[in-house]
Amino acid sequence: MTAEASGAAPSTAALGDRIAGAVLALLAVAAWWHAQTFVSGFRQPVGPDLFPRLVCVPLGVLALYLMCRPGLNQRWPRGVALLRQAGLLVVLGGYAGFLESWGFLPATLVGSVLLIRLFDAAWRQALVSGVSLTVILYLLFEYALGIPLPAVPGLGV
Amino acid sequence: MDILVFLLHGFAIALEPQNLFLALIGCAVGTLIGALPGLGPVNGVALLIPLAFNFGLSPTAALILLVSVYYGTMYGGRISSIVLNIPGDEPAMMTTLDGYPMALKGRGGEALGLSAVASFVGATVATIGLTLFAPLLVGFAIRFGPAEYFALFMLAFATIGGVTSGSFTKSFIAAGLGLLLGTVGLDPATGVSRYTFGLYELYDGIDFIAALVGLFAISECLLLLEDRRRETATNQELGSAIPGMKSARKCAPTIARGSLIGFVAGVLPGAGASLGSFLSYTLEKRWLGRKGDFGNGDPRGVAAPEAGNNAAAGGALIPMLSLGIPGSGTTAILLALLLSMNITPGPLLFEQQPDMVWGLVAALFIGNIMLLVLNVPLVGLFARVLRAPSWLLMPVVILVAFVGVYSLNNSAFDLYVMLAFGVLGYVLRKLDIPSVPVVLGLLLGGQMEFNLRRAMSISGGDWSILVSSGISIGIYAFAAALMAAGLLFAWWLKREEAGR
Repeated sequence: MTAEASGAAPSTAALGDRIAGAVLALLAVAAWWHAQTFVSGFRQPVGPDLFPRLVCVPLGVLALYLMCRPGLNQRWPRGVALLRQAGLLVVLGGYAGFLESWGFLPATLVGSVLLIRLFDAAWRQALVSGVSLTVILYLLFEYALGIPLPAVPGLGV
Repeated sequence: MDILVFLLHGFAIALEPQNLFLALIGCAVGTLIGALPGLGPVNGVALLIPLAFNFGLSPTAALILLVSVYYGTMYGGRISSIVLNIPGDEPAMMTTLDGYPMALKGRGGEALGLSAVASFVGATVATIGLTLFAPLLVGFAIRFGPAEYFALFMLAFATIGGVTSGSFTKSFIAAGLGLLLGTVGLDPATGVSRYTFGLYELYDGIDFIAALVGLFAISECLLLLEDRRRETATNQELGSAIPGMKSARKCAPTIARGSLIGFVAGVLPGAGASLGSFLSYTLEKRWLGRKGDFGNGDPRGVAAPEAGNNAAAGGALIPMLSLGIPGSGTTAILLALLLSMNITPGPLLFEQQPDMVWGLVAALFIGNIMLLVLNVPLVGLFARVLRAPSWLLMPVVILVAFVGVYSLNNSAFDLYVMLAFGVLGYVLRKLDIPSVPVVLGLLLGGQMEFNLRRAMSISGGDWSILVSSGISIGIYAFAAALMAAGLLFAWWLKREEAGR
């Protein structure tokens, strides 16, 4: 599904392309430069640094071209939308971080309730469906699939 | 004759109860995923890969499950196109043009029935094509050496995305980025660590599956958070899907043409189902001229793109299985599944794992019949699922993705990789840079480098080995021709859009 299909109109000010071009060009140069550290003891016609460098050349050239001749971009998010996206990343990042130290059940419970809230459900709906989702996932993975999930420290579940 | 024997053997495998059951589950889940707006074949299949791993399935069974999902999504995409005027996935975009007007006139059921038959014919034509042509391609490719393989990878990158996205620069940038990301990890030939920056989690390279789920599923959620589609609940009576069978007979020539066009579009590298449905709709419109009433609910406007996109989906499996070069986003993900199971598709796959290849082909034939049954009498059931609230749907998707990816390696690091690729995928979409070439680069980079280095060590460092055989020169010429065709097509598209 392209962003175009979801209704966001392309905007003509393609500042994003210029920034992306600059970032990618820098990346290509840095990757090329870093490739000099790939030294192996073997004598081969082609070392481990050749292929990455070979990729960096067109990547860098095309990125520079994109910087000078940008194309169309979709509209970038602003205000509330941006906040909600940041919220999603914070919730998911936190979930990934706490999954092992808290254990699956508490981490997923908090994560799913917050997630459902982020998608505009009322607290009641979020709590009810968060709890059921957590339990279903736990039963599915732990028992139906037999995959151990991180346990709550000291409790063994 | 050989093919028939192999195919019969394949049916024996596909008809094993477990595989039959998986095909059925795959078809139903696929139809569901395809029907839900926002989840298409690419992110649907990406999402289910970690689950397929966790089921502990054999490679054959996992492939049957996911390919059934893939075929199912192609069927399902049309449901929300017709009922809600929202394409369930990108290839179903063209189906909205005449499908929704038909639904407004109270002929929604007929449109659903007709499109199911068209999908069935398209997919069956493609599966027959797969049966006939894949072995031919394999017979040809078996003679390829490392230099020819390198040329083949160049062909894949020269053409992927270029045709559909219209911007060659951006497709190539995406491919380059993917190839560069693909070199992260320990170099398999020498053990030198590349771009790992001391993170031992990266020594094995970036996990394909975490990256894929991030690029497609997580970025989709980010996109949805910003632009929530209003749920246009329709109160239209759908009516029975049975009259669709009758109108399918009337549309038979359209369905036949759409299937053939779609199949060809699918086999070509870099095209895929979206192009298949687009071309078959546009060419059918052109073919019928004033005899058609396209855009106002002409049944042929539903039949053509649905035959086209399903045929293209099947056609795209040919280069993936026989050459190891995927022609579309979803087949790239199927390739990721195979690579993660230590199976390298290509000509050798047909020799070493005939059970898997032919079992899969037979499963496709069976799955198609299941899909037809699921999608004509039971289509109302799927249409009802469209009313599921989105506040529940997306969190479920994200959590399944999270737990699935986590349990692949029991690694929280993979979750961060997935999130990072989610952000990358989102930014790429905003920049109109296609993500499929990134995936291809990530997947094929290792093989491409391996073949390049092998060719170079055979020649002792002489670059001319890359163009020393007729086959490789032929492949480069073919790549150039396809690129030229892509440019021409982009120009034609622009003119067509201006005229619309």
